[in-house]
Amino acid sequence: MTQEIDLSKLPPAEPYDEARDKAQRKRLLDVWQEPPGWKIISAVNNDHVGKWYLLTSFAFFVFAGILALMIRAQLAVPDNDLFGQSLYNQLFTLHGTAMMFLFAVPIFEAVAILVLPEILGARDLPFPRLSAFGYWCFLIGGVFVCGSIFFGVAPDGGWFMYTPLSSNTDYSGLGADIWLLGLSFIEVSSIAAAVELIVGVLKCRPPGMRLNLMPLYCWYVLVVAGMILFAFPPLIAGDLLLEMERAFDWAFFDVDRGGDPLLWQHLFWIFGHPEVYIIFLPSIALIATMLPTFANRPMVGHSWIVLSAVGVAFLSFGLWVHHMFTTGLPEISLSFFSAASEAVAVPTGIQIFCFIATMLVSKVRASVPMLFAGGALAIFVFGGLTGVMVALVPFDWQAHDSYFVVAHLHYTLIGGMLFPLFAGIHYWYPFVTQKAMSDRLGTWSFWLMFGGFNLAFLPMHWTGVMGMPRRVWTYDVTDGWAVLNMVSTVGAFVFAAGFAVLAVNVLWPRGRQPLVERNHWNAGTMEWVAEVPDKPWGIRSIPYIHTRYPLWEQPDLMGQIDRGEWFLPDAEEGKRELIVTDILDARPLYVQRVGGPTFLTIGSAVCLGAVFILATYHLWALTLAFGVGFIGFTLWWLWTGTSEIPERPEKYAGRGLTLPTYAQGNRSPGWWAVFITMTGDLTAFMGLVFSYFFYWTALPDFFPSADQIPGISWLLLGLVGLVAGWLMTVAARRLLGEGRRGMAVGLLCGSVPVGFAGLGAWCLAAWQAGLDPTAQSFDAMVWMLILWMGLHLLLNALMQLYVAARILARICTPDYRADLMNLTLFTHFLALTAVVIFALLAIFPMLMGAA
Amino acid sequence: MEELFWVLLIGAAVLWTAVIGAAVYAQKRQVDPSLERQARWFIIWGGAVIPTLLVGGLLAWGMVILRDITSDTGDLTVRVDGERWWWRVTYEGPEGDVVTANEIRIPVGQTALFRLTADDVIHSFWVPALGGKMDMIPGRETTLALTPQEVGNWGGLCAEFCGGAHALMRFDAIVMEPGDFEAWLAAEAAPAQVSEDDPGFAVFQEEGCGACHAVRGTDAAGPVGPDLTHVAAREKLGAGVYEMTPQNMALWITETHEMKPDIDMPPYPDLDGARLDALVAFLMSLDHAE
Amino acid sequence: MTRESDKQPGGYGPPGDAPRLIGQGSVWIMVAAPTIWALHFVASYTFAATWCAKAGPSLAEPRWIIAMMGVICVALIGWLALLAVRRYGGVFVIFEEITESSERARDRFIGHVSLLLCILSAVAIVFTALPGFFFSTC
Repeated sequence: MTQEIDLSKLPPAEPYDEARDKAQRKRLLDVWQEPPGWKIISAVNNDHVGKWYLLTSFAFFVFAGILALMIRAQLAVPDNDLFGQSLYNQLFTLHGTAMMFLFAVPIFEAVAILVLPEILGARDLPFPRLSAFGYWCFLIGGVFVCGSIFFGVAPDGGWFMYTPLSSNTDYSGLGADIWLLGLSFIEVSSIAAAVELIVGVLKCRPPGMRLNLMPLYCWYVLVVAGMILFAFPPLIAGDLLLEMERAFDWAFFDVDRGGDPLLWQHLFWIFGHPEVYIIFLPSIALIATMLPTFANRPMVGHSWIVLSAVGVAFLSFGLWVHHMFTTGLPEISLSFFSAASEAVAVPTGIQIFCFIATMLVSKVRASVPMLFAGGALAIFVFGGLTGVMVALVPFDWQAHDSYFVVAHLHYTLIGGMLFPLFAGIHYWYPFVTQKAMSDRLGTWSFWLMFGGFNLAFLPMHWTGVMGMPRRVWTYDVTDGWAVLNMVSTVGAFVFAAGFAVLAVNVLWPRGRQPLVERNHWNAGTMEWVAEVPDKPWGIRSIPYIHTRYPLWEQPDLMGQIDRGEWFLPDAEEGKRELIVTDILDARPLYVQRVGGPTFLTIGSAVCLGAVFILATYHLWALTLAFGVGFIGFTLWWLWTGTSEIPERPEKYAGRGLTLPTYAQGNRSPGWWAVFITMTGDLTAFMGLVFSYFFYWTALPDFFPSADQIPGISWLLLGLVGLVAGWLMTVAARRLLGEGRRGMAVGLLCGSVPVGFAGLGAWCLAAWQAGLDPTAQSFDAMVWMLILWMGLHLLLNALMQLYVAARILARICTPDYRADLMNLTLFTHFLALTAVVIFALLAIFPMLMGAA
Repeated sequence: MEELFWVLLIGAAVLWTAVIGAAVYAQKRQVDPSLERQARWFIIWGGAVIPTLLVGGLLAWGMVILRDITSDTGDLTVRVDGERWWWRVTYEGPEGDVVTANEIRIPVGQTALFRLTADDVIHSFWVPALGGKMDMIPGRETTLALTPQEVGNWGGLCAEFCGGAHALMRFDAIVMEPGDFEAWLAAEAAPAQVSEDDPGFAVFQEEGCGACHAVRGTDAAGPVGPDLTHVAAREKLGAGVYEMTPQNMALWITETHEMKPDIDMPPYPDLDGARLDALVAFLMSLDHAE
Repeated sequence: MTRESDKQPGGYGPPGDAPRLIGQGSVWIMVAAPTIWALHFVASYTFAATWCAKAGPSLAEPRWIIAMMGVICVALIGWLALLAVRRYGGVFVIFEEITESSERARDRFIGHVSLLLCILSAVAIVFTALPGFFFSTC
């Protein structure tokens, strides 16, 4: 049934029949057609969501760019009073924040959502509604954060929001809350996208696309999405601590109450450094995809690029302290991070040498995308070399927090991220719009931007060496920085002019211009199979792939796909369908039905956005109301759109292949999504665990006297309750499988009070020990861990009752029980969390002789 | 240290030229299919082996330098406490502490060990011309050893964004001949010479300046703001921002927040001409004894 | 044995899609070596930080422990590299891209990349262990 496909034994395609082709195309069109008129906003297909994502990210880029120009205008001359101190502090904070969180990371998600399914020859991503939800979260959060500057309350603590400047409400106002809550909300959308993309690459490849045949772009997406999963959660943990201190005065960063401001720096940079590579790798991925097209040959050293992507991903997690070289940590600690910072240069260099090697054995066609790629190389290599410099502690002590670092980071990000992205814009523009861009304008915009960029940022290295620190709104004429700053300002405006030319080139109305021919650049990757003019279904039929560059190496593939000779050429049941395959060899496993247009995800995102925004203003009653709304919309969305029992257990997919129409457990994308999400959740939890040990290491008297340590008997009882709740869910899965529905429902409902009773015992233990989270960091940490468990139990309760209701409604049945399997997986993680918290609260103090 | 800087700078220039040169060469030369094998060796040597050796060597060298420039002892110890947005400076002498503010004087050729703390938010102590910077973190004490080689006023500043007037948080870092330094420190240690009937001192007391500022030798002992015992002996006003002139001093008192926004000191716009003049004259008299 | 989580409705489809651990036919071997680097890195950092905070300025003992950890980790990576070569048929230098469509080619590809990652991770571990030779006090 779903075995390895042997190409030689595959039955031949049925002879072409024009009437059948027309009928199939009509049915596909009916299913994949976007909603008409204004209802287009309910679309969830990757074409639309990807485009919106892209345009929105660029809108934030323009916004943050204007802020940058304002910064440069202020610094153009010494003793300038164009913008005051207060506005300037908001300008640079918001510039960094918006560029990082609202442009650089989202643009990766935008491009991936737009291009990845097409490169995979898939019709969509596995959870289209989740992408749409993520997009709306991103839009609402981004507008909220950026809009704050028009009311003069934008965050003004620098984009890394160091405590205690950001934690003490005497030193920072509403801006810090807006930063924290707005960005937490956006991080939700990033993690949603990461889950989507990982599952997309692992499970939605076309039949036959084994790991060794997978395009480089997919490797990069997989690696980067995995990095997001491990990098963003520690920041979410940090955000939680910081907001608890700001809103409820919990003692996490206040020195007088046993807090430590350095903890924030750790949590922030554990996120912040991988983030740089999260931004950089996807853009390198674009070059790795474009270069073979223009070189007209496969990439040389394909496997070395995979090595370097995976290697960079790992090493980038060992760099975070190089942002903290001047915090007085022991030299040996600094040197570990210096070592990793130097080591990461090796895999980074390998990628670049693979590109050069490819150029060595081919003749690269001159084109605007390659012009941008060349500019990227020149800029990025320079930024990389200054990176090697600042990775050395003695050098960094001089360069840190000076304009040298400002120059370095812009060289890496603009060379490593922005220029490749612009190359990608020129490359995929015909793919998205079916029209060609103007080469002349493209060349102009490149040279303006390349020249302007170097004019602006090259002198900044020297400004920094001369001693100009970052984030100063004014300087004195006697400092001697005036000429260099003026040059930088001129350069910044030339750069902006270049971008304006590019924007005109992109947005120029091309209504009358003829459509491009299909596969405009003669590329080898699957996205160029798209018909001209474009069709909403993505791909006419899903082919069997057995090469790395199918359009070059599989003769007549395009024709076969167009004639519907491959899999799923039809949509008889009127459902949007994808083929889900296995991780290693992309053997077809089953046909997944995905959701179509809906307003539910918008409702859900709007309510969640309202929760975060209202919480900023401490309007708790309204926050609660919208929280209920969010839960309502989300449950409605899940209930009506997921794990539906198919009308028949299997269907014919074409070419002799019959596939099941339902899957559960680890064969279903839903299970993997839960697994991946919970891995991220566990990482956030590890951020809290790290905080606990950090306090223990940094503070000699972290543990209070023995009578203030929560009693072990109540803690143990609590653990028993929590573990019992988990076991009841596991038992329910087995019982439902055996057909005992009533018992299963009983166990699921029963596990809710049992779990809460366990949590209650923990609260009692902390309460009896007299722990007050506003008094000491130990107390705050204990309550934080209990709160973390409590939030998860709330979610758990909702899900238990949801699945129980699904069983009663006979949507979740003894045979079709994906919901319950996913829930069980969730509770595995819950039980693990409970055990670790128990160890931290009860066992570790005992081992250290504190209890 | 300076050697490291030049090696890195020239090394970076050479490597950049080599990589970009390789790319240009690769693009210009004729396509030659026999290069397939060489292309792979090119990746291995150019991308992996040589960079590994280079960065490995740099790492080791950097650690050697780091080991040499860090030190726990100095010929003299100066405690500097970062405040929003000024510096509390304390010299640890044999006859007890000497407190001053916003100006650091150290003898040439000797190692000064700075013990750095902060009270409110994180600051960073940096004299660009003399060497590296070090953060000042609430709840911790960090140290930085500097050994100046040349006499002069080098200027220092706060390098870590500390909110509000971060840009105006500066100080003078004055390197002196050892003999001059000893004399300066002795003068700084002496109490202020204030006559009880100084009309300016009366204004100082009536306006409550002493609640925040200390003037040793009088009963003004406020710990909140900078010590003013020898304020007029400093080169700058407002934490290294304005020249120490009577005009600036008057402006500082009446238009404080135009001079330096957001600071805690309240402005005294209602001080009338005569009383203001007296107060300024008094403050400008707080110089070292001749 | 069919695990509970592998059961499919009505028995449609073959059981199991969870990738195996690191034996032949797995993706996990690719991340195994860098994971060892990460664990070694975190262990070295945590150990040194805790030692400096709790025990005291002399690093005499931690230096040796960090070096020993490095040796053990490199040995572990060596074993992984052996696995990548023997079981997966991974080689260090390839002159032909592994583009054949077969399970064996996929394994060879994974073995080759894993071998490269083993080497990179071993180098990174040596880098991480280096500071132990340079600093004798906190």
